[in-house]
Amino acid sequence: MSAYWPWWAGAVALATVTIGYTVLSDRSLGISSAWERVLHWREEREIERLDARLGDDDALEAALAAATRREFGALAVASPATDAAPDPGPAARPPAPPRPAPLVTQAALLVSVFVGGLVAALTSGRFEVRADMGEAFGRIVTDNPVTMVVVLFTGGVLVGFGTRLAGGCSSGHGLSGCGRLRPVSILATAVFFGTAVVVSLLLGGMS
Amino acid sequence: MSAHPLAPPAPRRGRTRGSVLAACVLAGLALGYTVTRIGFADFGEVHAMFTFADLRMLLAFLGAAALVVVAFLVLRVRRTPGRIHAGVVPGAVLFGTGWAISGGCPAIPIVQVASGYLPAVVTIGGIVVGMYLSRWANARYLHLDRGSCDV
Repeated sequence: MSAYWPWWAGAVALATVTIGYTVLSDRSLGISSAWERVLHWREEREIERLDARLGDDDALEAALAAATRREFGALAVASPATDAAPDPGPAARPPAPPRPAPLVTQAALLVSVFVGGLVAALTSGRFEVRADMGEAFGRIVTDNPVTMVVVLFTGGVLVGFGTRLAGGCSSGHGLSGCGRLRPVSILATAVFFGTAVVVSLLLGGMS
Repeated sequence: MSAHPLAPPAPRRGRTRGSVLAACVLAGLALGYTVTRIGFADFGEVHAMFTFADLRMLLAFLGAAALVVVAFLVLRVRRTPGRIHAGVVPGAVLFGTGWAISGGCPAIPIVQVASGYLPAVVTIGGIVVGMYLSRWANARYLHLDRGSCDV
């Protein structure tokens, strides 16, 4: 069994994933929002269908401009007489944020996390099918299987409810959001990390 | 009228569906591999991070955040909208509590199952229920405008 990575290797790898995803996709990495969208796939699919019907704003604008030119000549498009403040054109407008990543890509993200984890566990000799959560969980939280199931389910509900209420998790707020120095993400990260420290210290004190 | 000085230099073209899919698959594989090799699937390591018994994973996380800040400044990555609404602090408190007692943030139970910790399936079930509850509670009682649902 190989040792866990040193801190600097972990830092470089996590940063590479976050930066690589952002550059390749022009979107923000967020696992909890991927979960939420996959879970609400019916609504999400409907939104995608409507979105596709409305089409691309830029394409629509270009088509309208072309139709106007055909009807009224190039001058009509170049100098709109009625506009007090002419539109400076698409280049000067603040860029619209890209649409949410297609639903299928978010499902692929979650499945890929599983595959990546499986490869890591197998190649580092840590893969072991077991019915508990490890020695430390048994020592610190509970070694009773029924209590364990209750604690894990309760913890999961708190994570699912809390991340969506706060609008992100350790990847969305912690890495992508703090990386952009967004105040809301820095606040959320400080609060969830601080709370986890307090709860863990209380848990450690009780065991 | 010239472009706002803080605006990106050129209008961005949207990525194709294929390139977003490729980014998701690559990032997912790398993220699953990385968090497992760092030790985030191991409850003992997570607990040691939160109690400051071992600073290794804390430094990995802080170091990653610092590198991302620098890289995003250099690359002039687009700012995403974000507003501090009434759900941020309570949501983060609930999330921090859940992470501390189960050892799982939304990605971690997936890699815990992939490492062979079968009870983490229960954590995933809890996350699914919690997310449905969150949307239901917000629509029915809280009515928070959380802005963009995507961070």
